[in-house]
Amino acid sequence: MIVFEDAAVVAPDSGVTILEPTTLTLSERHISVIGANGSGKSTLARLINGLVMPTEGTVTVEGKTTRKHGREVRRMVGFLFTDPSAQLIMPTAAEDVMLSLRRTVKGKDARMRAALEALESLGLADRADVAVSALSGGQRQLLALAGVLAVAPKIIVADEPTTLLDLKWRGHVGALLRSLPVQLIEVTHDLDSAMRAERTLVIDSGKVVFDGAPGDAVQFYRDLIFGRPEQTQRV
Amino acid sequence: MNPTLGAYRPLRTPMHLAPAWFKVLLLALVSVLMIFVQDMATGVAFASASLALYLSTLPPWRTALKAILWTFLFAAMAAGYQLWRGEWQLGVDIATDLLTVVFLALAVSTATPMSEMLDLLSGVLRPFRRFVPHETIGLMFSLLIRLIPEMVQILGESRQAAMARGVERSPRAILVPAATRTVGFAVDLGQALHARGIADGVVEERDEVVDSELPKSRRARRALESRKARRRAAR
Ligand SMILES: Nc1ncnc2c1ncn2[C@@H]1O[C@H](COP(=O)(O)OP(=O)(O)OP(=O)(O)O)[C@@H](O)[C@H]1O
Ligand SMILES: [Mg+2]
Repeated sequence: MIVFEDAAVVAPDSGVTILEPTTLTLSERHISVIGANGSGKSTLARLINGLVMPTEGTVTVEGKTTRKHGREVRRMVGFLFTDPSAQLIMPTAAEDVMLSLRRTVKGKDARMRAALEALESLGLADRADVAVSALSGGQRQLLALAGVLAVAPKIIVADEPTTLLDLKWRGHVGALLRSLPVQLIEVTHDLDSAMRAERTLVIDSGKVVFDGAPGDAVQFYRDLIFGRPEQTQRV
Repeated sequence: MNPTLGAYRPLRTPMHLAPAWFKVLLLALVSVLMIFVQDMATGVAFASASLALYLSTLPPWRTALKAILWTFLFAAMAAGYQLWRGEWQLGVDIATDLLTVVFLALAVSTATPMSEMLDLLSGVLRPFRRFVPHETIGLMFSLLIRLIPEMVQILGESRQAAMARGVERSPRAILVPAATRTVGFAVDLGQALHARGIADGVVEERDEVVDSELPKSRRARRALESRKARRRAAR
Protein backbone atom coordinates (compact mmCIF):
# COMPACT_ATOMS: atom_id res chain seq x y z
CA MET A 1 0.00 0.00 0.00
CA ILE A 2 1.24 3.45 -0.97
CA VAL A 3 0.12 6.46 1.04
CA PHE A 4 0.60 10.12 0.08
CA GLU A 5 -0.05 12.53 2.93
CA ASP A 6 -0.10 16.13 1.77
CA ALA A 7 2.94 15.28 -0.33
CA ALA A 8 4.03 18.29 -2.38
CA VAL A 9 7.04 19.00 -4.55
CA VAL A 10 8.43 22.48 -5.05
CA ALA A 11 11.39 23.03 -7.38
CA PRO A 12 14.29 23.96 -5.10
CA ASP A 13 15.85 26.62 -7.31
CA SER A 14 12.85 28.38 -8.83
CA GLY A 15 10.26 27.80 -6.10
CA VAL A 16 7.78 26.63 -8.75
CA THR A 17 5.25 24.09 -7.50
CA ILE A 18 5.62 20.86 -9.48
CA LEU A 19 3.12 18.84 -7.44
CA GLU A 20 0.52 20.44 -5.19
CA PRO A 21 -0.13 18.86 -1.78
CA THR A 22 -1.56 15.46 -2.60
CA THR A 23 -3.27 12.96 -0.34
CA LEU A 24 -3.88 9.50 -1.77
CA THR A 25 -4.03 5.88 -0.72
CA LEU A 26 -3.04 3.50 -3.51
CA SER A 27 -3.96 -0.09 -2.71
CA GLU A 28 -5.48 -1.38 -5.97
CA ARG A 29 -3.41 -3.89 -7.85
CA HIS A 30 -3.21 -1.94 -11.04
CA ILE A 31 -3.42 1.85 -11.13
CA SER A 32 -2.82 3.97 -14.20
CA VAL A 33 -1.79 7.62 -14.26
CA ILE A 34 -2.55 9.83 -17.25
CA GLY A 35 -2.14 13.53 -18.06
CA ALA A 36 -0.56 15.98 -20.48
CA ASN A 37 3.18 16.48 -20.99
CA GLY A 38 4.68 18.34 -18.07
CA SER A 39 1.63 17.84 -15.85
CA GLY A 40 3.62 16.12 -13.10
CA LYS A 41 3.07 12.40 -13.71
CA SER A 42 6.73 11.46 -13.54
CA THR A 43 7.17 13.51 -10.39
CA LEU A 44 4.29 11.64 -8.75
CA ALA A 45 5.73 8.31 -9.88
CA ARG A 46 9.24 9.12 -8.66
CA LEU A 47 7.91 10.10 -5.25
CA ILE A 48 6.82 6.50 -4.73
CA ASN A 49 10.32 5.05 -4.67
CA GLY A 50 12.14 8.04 -3.25
CA LEU A 51 13.81 9.18 -6.47
CA VAL A 52 12.08 12.48 -5.71
CA MET A 53 11.54 13.51 -2.10
CA PRO A 54 8.44 15.46 -1.10
CA THR A 55 9.34 18.99 -0.04
CA GLU A 56 6.26 18.88 2.20
CA GLY A 57 4.21 16.00 3.58
CA THR A 58 5.19 12.34 3.34
CA VAL A 59 5.02 9.34 1.05
CA THR A 60 4.80 5.97 2.76
CA VAL A 61 5.17 2.52 1.21
CA GLU A 62 4.06 -0.46 3.32
CA GLY A 63 4.46 1.70 6.40
CA LYS A 64 7.94 3.02 5.54
CA THR A 65 8.43 6.66 4.65
CA THR A 66 10.57 7.33 1.60
CA ARG A 67 12.51 9.98 3.44
CA LYS A 68 13.64 7.84 6.38
CA HIS A 69 13.69 4.39 4.82
CA GLY A 70 14.80 5.11 1.26
CA ARG A 71 16.74 1.92 0.94
CA GLU A 72 13.96 -0.37 2.18
CA VAL A 73 11.44 1.42 -0.02
CA ARG A 74 13.61 1.04 -3.13
CA ARG A 75 13.93 -2.62 -2.33
CA MET A 76 10.15 -2.97 -2.36
CA VAL A 77 9.48 -0.68 -5.30
CA GLY A 78 10.97 -1.47 -8.69
CA PHE A 79 11.07 1.37 -11.21
CA LEU A 80 10.87 1.05 -14.96
CA PHE A 81 11.87 4.08 -17.06
CA THR A 82 10.68 5.10 -20.50
CA ASP A 83 14.10 4.70 -22.05
CA PRO A 84 15.53 1.34 -21.09
CA SER A 85 18.98 2.32 -22.41
CA ALA A 86 19.52 4.61 -19.47
CA GLN A 87 18.61 1.83 -17.10
CA LEU A 88 20.93 -0.80 -18.48
CA ILE A 89 24.41 -0.50 -17.12
CA MET A 90 26.43 -3.56 -17.97
CA PRO A 91 27.44 -4.43 -21.53
CA THR A 92 25.61 -7.75 -21.88
CA ALA A 93 22.14 -8.86 -20.86
CA ALA A 94 23.21 -11.51 -18.36
CA GLU A 95 25.76 -9.23 -16.73
CA ASP A 96 23.17 -6.52 -16.30
CA VAL A 97 20.75 -8.79 -14.47
CA MET A 98 23.65 -10.10 -12.39
CA LEU A 99 24.36 -6.56 -11.29
CA SER A 100 20.85 -6.34 -9.83
CA LEU A 101 21.46 -9.60 -8.01
CA ARG A 102 24.74 -8.56 -6.41
CA ARG A 103 23.08 -7.76 -3.15
CA THR A 104 20.73 -10.71 -2.85
CA VAL A 105 22.55 -13.66 -4.39
CA LYS A 106 26.02 -14.50 -3.13
CA GLY A 107 28.50 -16.29 -5.33
CA LYS A 108 29.15 -15.70 -8.99
CA ASP A 109 27.84 -19.02 -10.28
CA ALA A 110 24.63 -18.81 -8.31
CA ARG A 111 24.18 -15.27 -9.55
CA MET A 112 24.72 -16.35 -13.14
CA ARG A 113 22.13 -19.11 -12.78
CA ALA A 114 19.60 -16.72 -11.23
CA ALA A 115 20.22 -14.20 -13.99
CA LEU A 116 19.69 -16.80 -16.69
CA GLU A 117 16.47 -17.87 -15.01
CA ALA A 118 15.26 -14.29 -14.89
CA LEU A 119 16.07 -13.83 -18.58
CA GLU A 120 14.38 -17.09 -19.47
CA SER A 121 11.17 -16.16 -17.69
CA LEU A 122 10.90 -13.13 -19.96
CA GLY A 123 11.82 -15.05 -23.11
CA LEU A 124 15.32 -13.59 -23.36
CA ALA A 125 17.26 -16.78 -22.68
CA ASP A 126 19.01 -16.72 -26.06
CA ARG A 127 20.01 -13.07 -25.59
CA ALA A 128 22.07 -13.62 -22.45
CA ASP A 129 25.48 -12.97 -24.02
CA VAL A 130 24.33 -10.41 -26.55
CA ALA A 131 25.57 -6.83 -26.22
CA VAL A 132 22.86 -4.63 -24.77
CA SER A 133 23.39 -2.18 -27.62
CA ALA A 134 22.54 -4.89 -30.12
CA LEU A 135 19.08 -5.58 -28.63
CA SER A 136 15.91 -4.13 -30.09
CA GLY A 137 14.05 -1.46 -28.12
CA GLY A 138 11.43 -3.96 -27.00
CA GLN A 139 14.04 -6.48 -25.91
CA ARG A 140 15.86 -3.75 -24.03
CA GLN A 141 12.73 -2.83 -22.13
CA LEU A 142 12.21 -6.52 -21.28
CA LEU A 143 15.80 -6.69 -20.08
CA ALA A 144 15.29 -3.61 -17.91
CA LEU A 145 12.23 -5.36 -16.49
CA ALA A 146 14.26 -8.52 -15.87
CA GLY A 147 16.73 -6.42 -13.88
CA VAL A 148 13.91 -4.94 -11.84
CA LEU A 149 12.16 -8.26 -11.27
CA ALA A 150 15.36 -10.02 -10.29
CA VAL A 151 15.18 -8.48 -6.84
CA ALA A 152 11.53 -9.51 -6.33
CA PRO A 153 9.87 -6.14 -5.69
CA LYS A 154 6.34 -5.91 -4.27
CA ILE A 155 5.45 -2.89 -6.34
CA ILE A 156 6.48 -1.78 -9.82
CA VAL A 157 6.24 1.83 -10.86
CA ALA A 158 6.51 2.15 -14.62
CA ASP A 159 6.92 5.62 -16.14
CA GLU A 160 5.67 5.32 -19.72
CA PRO A 161 7.26 1.90 -20.18
CA THR A 162 5.86 1.41 -23.67
CA THR A 163 6.11 4.90 -25.17
CA LEU A 164 9.17 4.04 -27.28
CA LEU A 165 7.91 0.63 -28.41
CA ASP A 166 6.11 -0.43 -31.57
CA LEU A 167 2.59 -1.83 -31.51
CA LYS A 168 3.63 -5.45 -31.11
CA TRP A 169 6.11 -4.83 -28.31
CA ARG A 170 3.75 -2.40 -26.62
CA GLY A 171 1.17 -5.15 -26.39
CA HIS A 172 3.71 -7.68 -25.24
CA VAL A 173 5.36 -5.57 -22.55
CA GLY A 174 1.99 -4.22 -21.39
CA ALA A 175 0.49 -7.69 -21.01
CA LEU A 176 3.59 -8.94 -19.25
CA LEU A 177 3.52 -6.07 -16.76
CA ARG A 178 -0.14 -6.70 -15.98
CA SER A 179 0.44 -10.42 -15.48
CA LEU A 180 3.09 -9.94 -12.80
CA PRO A 181 2.23 -10.78 -9.20
CA VAL A 182 3.01 -7.23 -8.04
CA GLN A 183 1.17 -3.97 -7.55
CA LEU A 184 1.59 -1.95 -10.73
CA ILE A 185 1.50 1.84 -10.97
CA GLU A 186 1.70 2.71 -14.65
CA VAL A 187 2.16 6.19 -16.04
CA THR A 188 1.09 6.15 -19.67
CA HIS A 189 0.01 8.14 -22.71
CA ASP A 190 -1.54 4.96 -24.10
CA LEU A 191 -5.18 5.40 -23.15
CA ASP A 192 -6.05 1.81 -24.13
CA SER A 193 -3.52 0.59 -21.64
CA ALA A 194 -4.74 3.09 -19.03
CA MET A 195 -8.24 1.64 -19.43
CA ARG A 196 -7.04 -1.80 -18.37
CA ALA A 197 -6.28 -0.62 -14.83
CA GLU A 198 -8.62 -0.85 -11.86
CA ARG A 199 -8.24 2.80 -11.01
CA THR A 200 -6.94 5.81 -12.91
CA LEU A 201 -5.54 9.16 -11.76
CA VAL A 202 -5.63 12.16 -14.07
CA ILE A 203 -2.95 14.76 -13.39
CA ASP A 204 -3.10 18.32 -14.62
CA SER A 205 -0.77 21.19 -13.72
CA GLY A 206 0.63 19.37 -10.72
CA LYS A 207 -2.75 18.35 -9.33
CA VAL A 208 -4.69 15.09 -9.24
CA VAL A 209 -7.83 16.37 -10.93
CA PHE A 210 -9.62 13.04 -11.28
CA ASP A 211 -9.36 9.79 -9.37
CA GLY A 212 -11.67 6.92 -10.16
CA ALA A 213 -12.80 4.36 -12.71
CA PRO A 214 -10.57 4.22 -15.80
CA GLY A 215 -13.42 4.75 -18.28
CA ASP A 216 -14.56 7.92 -16.53
CA ALA A 217 -10.97 9.07 -16.11
CA VAL A 218 -10.19 8.78 -19.80
CA GLN A 219 -13.38 10.63 -20.67
CA PHE A 220 -12.49 13.34 -18.15
CA TYR A 221 -9.01 13.62 -19.64
CA ARG A 222 -10.34 13.94 -23.18
CA ASP A 223 -12.75 16.65 -22.09
CA LEU A 224 -9.94 18.39 -20.25
CA ILE A 225 -7.78 18.51 -23.35
CA PHE A 226 -10.37 19.08 -26.05
CA GLY A 227 -12.65 21.15 -23.85
CA ARG A 228 -16.27 21.01 -22.92
CA PRO A 229 -18.05 24.27 -22.16
CA GLU A 230 -18.69 23.66 -18.47
CA GLN A 231 -15.25 22.21 -17.85
CA THR A 232 -13.03 24.73 -19.59
CA GLN A 233 -13.98 27.04 -16.73
CA ARG A 234 -12.84 24.55 -14.10
CA VAL A 235 -9.41 24.41 -15.58
CA MET B 1 29.87 4.78 -35.96
CA ASN B 2 28.38 1.69 -34.47
CA PRO B 3 27.50 1.30 -30.79
CA THR B 4 28.69 -2.31 -30.89
CA LEU B 5 32.23 -1.04 -31.45
CA GLY B 6 34.53 -2.59 -28.90
CA ALA B 7 31.70 -4.65 -27.40
CA TYR B 8 32.69 -8.12 -26.21
CA ARG B 9 31.95 -10.98 -28.59
CA PRO B 10 32.14 -14.53 -27.26
CA LEU B 11 34.65 -16.16 -29.65
CA ARG B 12 37.69 -18.36 -29.18
CA THR B 13 40.55 -16.49 -30.82
CA PRO B 14 43.97 -16.45 -29.10
CA MET B 15 43.21 -12.99 -27.73
CA HIS B 16 39.94 -14.28 -26.27
CA LEU B 17 41.70 -17.19 -24.62
CA ALA B 18 44.46 -15.08 -23.09
CA PRO B 19 43.86 -14.30 -19.40
CA ALA B 20 42.29 -10.90 -18.66
CA TRP B 21 45.18 -9.75 -16.48
CA PHE B 22 47.60 -10.34 -19.32
CA LYS B 23 45.56 -8.33 -21.78
CA VAL B 24 45.01 -5.42 -19.44
CA LEU B 25 48.66 -5.43 -18.42
CA LEU B 26 49.68 -5.49 -22.07
CA LEU B 27 47.47 -2.52 -22.81
CA ALA B 28 48.82 -0.58 -19.83
CA LEU B 29 52.46 -1.38 -20.57
CA VAL B 30 52.26 -0.63 -24.26
CA SER B 31 50.41 2.64 -23.61
CA VAL B 32 53.16 3.78 -21.26
CA LEU B 33 55.87 2.48 -23.55
CA MET B 34 54.50 4.46 -26.47
CA ILE B 35 55.16 7.68 -24.60
CA PHE B 36 58.86 6.85 -24.63
CA VAL B 37 59.13 5.38 -28.11
CA GLN B 38 60.10 8.14 -30.51
CA ASP B 39 61.69 6.07 -33.18
CA MET B 40 59.54 6.04 -36.29
CA ALA B 41 60.14 2.44 -37.33
CA THR B 42 59.33 1.15 -33.83
CA GLY B 43 56.20 3.29 -33.74
CA VAL B 44 54.97 1.95 -37.06
CA ALA B 45 55.78 -1.61 -35.96
CA PHE B 46 53.77 -1.21 -32.76
CA ALA B 47 50.83 0.32 -34.61
CA SER B 48 50.79 -2.49 -37.19
CA ALA B 49 51.10 -5.14 -34.51
CA SER B 50 48.18 -3.81 -32.52
CA LEU B 51 46.09 -3.48 -35.66
CA ALA B 52 46.88 -7.12 -36.46
CA LEU B 53 45.95 -8.05 -32.89
CA TYR B 54 42.64 -6.25 -33.22
CA LEU B 55 41.89 -8.01 -36.50
CA SER B 56 42.82 -11.34 -34.91
CA THR B 57 39.86 -10.99 -32.54
CA LEU B 58 37.56 -11.21 -35.60
CA PRO B 59 35.55 -8.06 -34.92
CA PRO B 60 32.37 -7.51 -36.99
CA TRP B 61 34.08 -6.38 -40.19
CA ARG B 62 31.86 -3.45 -41.13
CA THR B 63 32.18 -1.84 -37.69
CA ALA B 64 35.88 -2.61 -37.58
CA LEU B 65 36.55 -1.17 -41.01
CA LYS B 66 34.79 2.07 -40.11
CA ALA B 67 36.57 2.32 -36.79
CA ILE B 68 39.94 1.72 -38.42
CA LEU B 69 39.34 4.33 -41.09
CA TRP B 70 38.18 6.87 -38.52
CA THR B 71 41.18 6.20 -36.33
CA PHE B 72 43.52 6.65 -39.28
CA LEU B 73 41.75 9.86 -40.23
CA PHE B 74 42.03 11.11 -36.68
CA ALA B 75 45.71 10.16 -36.51
CA ALA B 76 46.32 11.86 -39.86
CA MET B 77 44.70 15.01 -38.54
CA ALA B 78 46.88 14.95 -35.43
CA ALA B 79 49.96 14.35 -37.56
CA GLY B 80 48.89 16.96 -40.11
CA TYR B 81 48.78 19.63 -37.47
CA GLN B 82 52.33 18.89 -36.39
CA LEU B 83 53.39 18.68 -40.02
CA TRP B 84 51.92 22.12 -40.60
CA ARG B 85 53.99 23.36 -37.68
CA GLY B 86 57.02 21.83 -39.39
CA GLU B 87 57.55 19.07 -36.84
CA TRP B 88 56.87 16.06 -38.97
CA GLN B 89 58.71 13.60 -36.76
CA LEU B 90 56.59 14.53 -33.78
CA GLY B 91 53.57 14.22 -36.05
CA VAL B 92 54.36 10.65 -37.02
CA ASP B 93 55.16 9.82 -33.40
CA ILE B 94 51.79 11.11 -32.19
CA ALA B 95 49.94 9.35 -34.99
CA THR B 96 51.53 5.96 -34.29
CA ASP B 97 50.96 6.36 -30.53
CA LEU B 98 47.32 7.03 -31.16
CA LEU B 99 46.88 4.16 -33.59
CA THR B 100 48.61 1.71 -31.27
CA VAL B 101 46.63 2.60 -28.18
CA VAL B 102 43.24 2.71 -29.92
CA PHE B 103 43.70 -0.59 -31.77
CA LEU B 104 45.05 -2.34 -28.73
CA ALA B 105 42.19 -1.02 -26.58
CA LEU B 106 39.72 -2.29 -29.18
CA ALA B 107 41.49 -5.65 -29.31
CA VAL B 108 41.29 -6.02 -25.52
CA SER B 109 37.70 -4.88 -25.19
CA THR B 110 36.32 -7.11 -27.99
CA ALA B 111 38.11 -10.12 -26.54
CA THR B 112 37.50 -9.68 -22.81
CA PRO B 113 34.11 -9.80 -21.04
CA MET B 114 33.49 -6.70 -18.97
CA SER B 115 32.80 -8.81 -15.90
CA GLU B 116 36.32 -10.26 -16.11
CA MET B 117 37.86 -6.81 -16.36
CA LEU B 118 35.78 -5.66 -13.40
CA ASP B 119 36.77 -8.66 -11.32
CA LEU B 120 40.35 -7.95 -12.19
CA LEU B 121 40.01 -4.34 -11.13
CA SER B 122 38.29 -5.32 -7.88
CA GLY B 123 40.98 -7.90 -7.28
CA VAL B 124 43.78 -5.45 -7.82
CA LEU B 125 42.16 -2.92 -5.52
CA ARG B 126 41.27 -5.47 -2.85
CA PRO B 127 44.42 -5.04 -0.77
CA PHE B 128 43.53 -1.35 -0.53
CA ARG B 129 39.93 -1.95 0.50
CA ARG B 130 40.39 -0.07 3.74
CA PHE B 131 41.13 3.06 1.79
CA VAL B 132 39.19 2.74 -1.45
CA PRO B 133 35.69 1.32 -1.95
CA HIS B 134 36.77 -1.15 -4.63
CA GLU B 135 33.21 -2.15 -5.55
CA THR B 136 32.37 1.48 -6.18
CA ILE B 137 35.38 1.94 -8.37
CA GLY B 138 34.49 -1.16 -10.36
CA LEU B 139 31.01 0.22 -10.85
CA MET B 140 32.35 3.64 -11.85
CA PHE B 141 34.62 2.00 -14.36
CA SER B 142 31.80 0.04 -15.96
CA LEU B 143 29.66 3.17 -16.07
CA LEU B 144 32.43 4.99 -17.86
CA ILE B 145 32.70 2.19 -20.40
CA ARG B 146 28.93 2.22 -20.70
CA LEU B 147 28.94 5.92 -21.56
CA ILE B 148 31.36 5.60 -24.47
CA PRO B 149 29.13 3.86 -27.04
CA GLU B 150 26.27 6.06 -25.91
CA MET B 151 28.36 9.18 -26.55
CA VAL B 152 29.37 7.91 -29.96
CA GLN B 153 25.73 7.37 -30.83
CA ILE B 154 24.68 10.77 -29.47
CA LEU B 155 27.44 12.48 -31.46
CA GLY B 156 26.33 10.69 -34.62
CA GLU B 157 22.71 11.67 -34.07
CA SER B 158 23.64 15.28 -33.31
CA ARG B 159 25.65 15.44 -36.50
CA GLN B 160 22.69 14.11 -38.48
CA ALA B 161 20.35 16.55 -36.78
CA ALA B 162 22.71 19.41 -37.65
CA MET B 163 22.92 18.16 -41.24
CA ALA B 164 19.15 17.98 -41.48
CA ARG B 165 19.01 21.63 -40.48
CA GLY B 166 21.86 22.57 -42.81
CA VAL B 167 24.26 23.65 -40.06
CA GLU B 168 26.67 20.71 -40.23
CA ARG B 169 29.63 23.04 -40.65
CA SER B 170 29.18 24.57 -37.23
CA PRO B 171 30.91 22.50 -34.53
CA ARG B 172 28.77 24.28 -31.97
CA ALA B 173 25.58 23.06 -33.55
CA ILE B 174 26.85 19.51 -33.06
CA LEU B 175 28.77 19.70 -29.81
CA VAL B 176 26.33 21.72 -27.71
CA PRO B 177 23.33 19.42 -28.16
CA ALA B 178 25.58 16.37 -27.92
CA ALA B 179 27.03 17.58 -24.61
CA THR B 180 23.58 18.39 -23.24
CA ARG B 181 22.27 14.98 -24.21
CA THR B 182 25.31 13.20 -22.80
CA VAL B 183 24.83 14.93 -19.47
CA GLY B 184 21.13 14.08 -19.65
CA PHE B 185 21.97 10.45 -20.26
CA ALA B 186 24.40 10.43 -17.35
CA VAL B 187 21.73 11.91 -15.08
CA ASP B 188 19.22 9.26 -16.21
CA LEU B 189 21.80 6.57 -15.64
CA GLY B 190 22.41 7.87 -12.14
CA GLN B 191 18.71 7.87 -11.39
CA ALA B 192 18.37 4.35 -12.69
CA LEU B 193 21.26 3.27 -10.52
CA HIS B 194 19.52 4.78 -7.56
CA ALA B 195 16.18 3.22 -8.52
CA ARG B 196 17.73 -0.22 -8.88
CA GLY B 197 19.22 0.14 -5.43
CA ILE B 198 22.68 -0.51 -6.82
CA ALA B 199 24.23 2.46 -5.08
CA ASP B 200 22.76 1.09 -1.81
CA GLY B 201 24.29 -2.26 -2.64
CA VAL B 202 27.72 -0.75 -2.89
CA VAL B 203 27.50 0.67 0.62
CA GLU B 204 26.49 -2.74 1.89
CA GLU B 205 29.38 -4.48 0.21
CA ARG B 206 31.63 -2.38 2.34
CA ASP B 207 29.89 -3.69 5.44
CA GLU B 208 30.53 -7.19 4.16
CA VAL B 209 34.19 -6.51 3.90
CA VAL B 210 34.15 -5.57 7.55
CA ASP B 211 32.30 -8.80 8.33
CA SER B 212 34.83 -10.98 6.59
CA GLU B 213 37.60 -9.35 8.53
CA LEU B 214 36.01 -9.94 11.92
CA PRO B 215 38.86 -9.70 14.38
CA LYS B 216 39.41 -12.68 16.60
CA SER B 217 39.57 -11.04 19.98
CA ARG B 218 36.23 -10.63 21.73
CA ARG B 219 36.88 -7.07 22.73
CA ALA B 220 37.58 -5.97 19.19
CA ARG B 221 34.49 -7.77 17.98
CA ARG B 222 32.31 -6.10 20.57
CA ALA B 223 33.68 -2.71 19.60
CA LEU B 224 32.93 -3.47 15.97
CA GLU B 225 29.38 -4.54 16.73
CA SER B 226 28.62 -1.42 18.69
CA ARG B 227 30.07 0.62 15.86
CA LYS B 228 27.78 -1.14 13.40
CA ALA B 229 24.79 -0.69 15.69
CA ARG B 230 25.55 2.99 15.90
CA ARG B 231 25.81 3.21 12.17
CA ARG B 232 22.48 1.42 11.81
CA ALA B 233 20.85 3.79 14.28
CA ALA B 234 22.22 6.73 12.36
CA ARG B 235 20.45 5.62 9.19
N1 LIG C 1 13.86 19.59 -10.84
C1 LIG C 1 12.97 20.36 -11.44
N2 LIG C 1 13.07 21.69 -11.37
C2 LIG C 1 12.18 22.50 -11.97
N3 LIG C 1 11.15 22.05 -12.67
C3 LIG C 1 10.97 20.74 -12.77
C4 LIG C 1 11.89 19.81 -12.17
N4 LIG C 1 11.47 18.55 -12.45
C5 LIG C 1 10.35 18.69 -13.20
N5 LIG C 1 10.05 20.00 -13.38
C6 LIG C 1 8.88 20.54 -14.11
O1 LIG C 1 7.74 20.00 -13.49
C7 LIG C 1 6.75 19.74 -14.44
C8 LIG C 1 6.26 18.31 -14.31
O2 LIG C 1 7.28 17.43 -14.75
P1 LIG C 1 7.05 15.87 -14.93
O3 LIG C 1 8.28 15.30 -15.51
O4 LIG C 1 6.56 15.30 -13.66
O5 LIG C 1 5.89 15.85 -16.02
P2 LIG C 1 5.25 14.62 -16.77
O6 LIG C 1 3.78 14.67 -16.52
O7 LIG C 1 5.92 13.36 -16.44
O8 LIG C 1 5.48 14.98 -18.30
P3 LIG C 1 5.77 14.02 -19.57
O9 LIG C 1 4.45 13.49 -20.01
O10 LIG C 1 6.33 14.96 -20.57
O11 LIG C 1 6.73 12.98 -19.14
C9 LIG C 1 7.34 20.07 -15.78
O12 LIG C 1 6.86 21.34 -16.17
C10 LIG C 1 8.81 20.10 -15.55
O13 LIG C 1 9.44 21.01 -16.40
MG1 LIG D 1 7.14 12.04 -17.55
